[in-house]
Amino acid sequence: MWSQGIANVLRKRASNAVALVTLLALAGFSSTAAAVPSFARQTGQNCVACHAGGQYPELTPYGRYFKLTGYTIGERAMPLSGMAVASLVKTSSTNDPNGDRYADFPKDGNLIFQTASLFLAGKVSDNVGGFAQFTYGNYDTQSATDSHWKGRSMSDNFDLRYADHLIDSNRDLIFGATLNNNPTVQDVWNSVPAWGYNVVPGSSGPGITPLLAGGLAQNVAGAGGYLFWNKTLYAELSSYRTADGIWSFMSQGFDTNLGNQQILKGNNPYWRIALSHDWGAHNAMIGAFGMAADVYPDATQPSGSTTRYRDTGIDAQYQYLLDPHVVTVQGSYIHERIHWADSIANQPGAYDAANGTALQALTNTSDTLDMLRLKASYVYQAKYGGSLSYFDVRGSNNSQYQTAVAQNDPLSPSVSGSRSSNPGTSAWTAEAFWLPVQYARVGVQYTWFTRFNGASSNYDGWGRSAKDNNTLFLYVWGAY
Amino acid sequence: MRHTLFFVAAISASLLVGCSSIERSRNLASPEVSGKTLAEQVCSSCHGLTGNSESPNFPKLAGQQRDYLLAQLTQFRSHNRADPAGFEYMWGLSRSLSDKQIGELASYYAASAPTSGPAGNPQMISAGEKIFNGGVSDKGVPACASCHGPKGEGAAAFPRLAGQHADYLIKQLLVFQRTNERPEGSVMKTVAHGLSADDIQAVASFAQQM
Repeated sequence: MWSQGIANVLRKRASNAVALVTLLALAGFSSTAAAVPSFARQTGQNCVACHAGGQYPELTPYGRYFKLTGYTIGERAMPLSGMAVASLVKTSSTNDPNGDRYADFPKDGNLIFQTASLFLAGKVSDNVGGFAQFTYGNYDTQSATDSHWKGRSMSDNFDLRYADHLIDSNRDLIFGATLNNNPTVQDVWNSVPAWGYNVVPGSSGPGITPLLAGGLAQNVAGAGGYLFWNKTLYAELSSYRTADGIWSFMSQGFDTNLGNQQILKGNNPYWRIALSHDWGAHNAMIGAFGMAADVYPDATQPSGSTTRYRDTGIDAQYQYLLDPHVVTVQGSYIHERIHWADSIANQPGAYDAANGTALQALTNTSDTLDMLRLKASYVYQAKYGGSLSYFDVRGSNNSQYQTAVAQNDPLSPSVSGSRSSNPGTSAWTAEAFWLPVQYARVGVQYTWFTRFNGASSNYDGWGRSAKDNNTLFLYVWGAY
Repeated sequence: MRHTLFFVAAISASLLVGCSSIERSRNLASPEVSGKTLAEQVCSSCHGLTGNSESPNFPKLAGQQRDYLLAQLTQFRSHNRADPAGFEYMWGLSRSLSDKQIGELASYYAASAPTSGPAGNPQMISAGEKIFNGGVSDKGVPACASCHGPKGEGAAAFPRLAGQHADYLIKQLLVFQRTNERPEGSVMKTVAHGLSADDIQAVASFAQQM
């Protein structure tokens, strides 16, 4: 009975976490960094020099060089920049038979001020530079009592680096070190999780993703070294740990007591390798990356058995850059093996109140999760652009994701429910955007969900379909 | 504690090693940094180490006339050259360059060995060769060779055209023909006035493979 009680607590926590993640994705909150006009002031160049077709944050070969050499090109300038996003989300169906539709979709159809960020970005010395983003999320969490949203200020992406470049007729070697708070945020290609997809704050995306795809963002502090040889071979090795103690400046606003910071055991390695080639107006990259992370199942009690995540990814990018045309294509595939901590594995499954039965006997000891992401975009004259992207999340039937089927339980709303326990979610997103000036972008996205939490129809056990989550998303994104 | 020490050591090492070398500086505001260093550490990222750029978005500078390079960098710095590629990329980079640095940069690229570009459509090249060497008499277009040299090597303020990216040449001919964004090349406005789109394509294709 005692273990049943613990299992219920854990299951509720797991389903709450899934509900939160899914709701955040649906409600339109995702952390991202982007345009940093203070870098433009430092080099004196327009955004298009570093950002392909001006569509920040995607980098041109020169933008990659700027980042790899530690953000040090140019002359020291006022390092402060700001960014703000206003947006409107309209969800296809806000009907929720198993929850509170007003609590689940409180912002639906309303034009809102989404987020604002402050950047501290620029060169420090000839070899040292970086950027630090601080974000205010206007719709961060909902009050448990009246569903009102509360704002929160928090650390966002951070990357401080040292770099040097040895170049003459015999050699071309860039090498450096990075200190950052989000695995892949230090990368210079836009096919990795931190920079490739859902880059507009508030875009729709997958709810359940491999840990490496943002699961540790602003929770961790990592340091590593990298080299880029002959503009061809890139290699990096880094190590991540919990951003606490003196590293907590990178995780402000994230706290185990708020339930938004995970605690890692020890140092957790991250690696990256890539091959790059430029020819004429074209350039391409193929690469691989991975991470092994051990996470305590209960962040408030970081001891004992950990959940072990082993993520491996492959990615590729192609760009054609010749004024006035910019074509870019990115893709990545991440495979994750999860070995659940002892306290999570082999626990009683979720409960089906309607039938008075358990949906699964015992939870799994290990699971797999795979995520494919693809994106293609075109920009004309750095003013008019469009993109089409796709994601497909698959994995083993994973009892940790399963939500109880219980009527009128606001903790298990239909929108984030999963009757099958399968994480399978896939969607297409089409986007059109306009850059009236280089520091502002106005866009519209539409996302079609073909599968959600394991099914195309009745994924929650109460009749909600994947297409009910289709979203129309309008945004105005400005920076200075 | 051990982990903390690891990170502190990593950062300290980074910042300490950060005692920078003037030979590898990317600082565009310091007159102490030589033109050669700027060419290697900054310009090479788009124009290539030897000035033979890979992307046609950026002109080849290798073997370019020193006087022409001096004039262009000076015109970028003073904002007199205002074609989009010029102000988007070059105004900022040139804003704090000293005359000495500009001179060193011009010498660096003028002394570099130029390469020929790829050959395209033979008919196009043949048509371009006629324009290059003979002009278009019924439209009042003089031969390119008369100022830019029979081998397209250029002369003083007249730039080298041989081996230049065709896409770059086309873009500049259109800037001359349709705008006043390059006042230092105003003579080209008259010269390019009678060129059709096909003529421009042809002559650029010919120059690229020279």
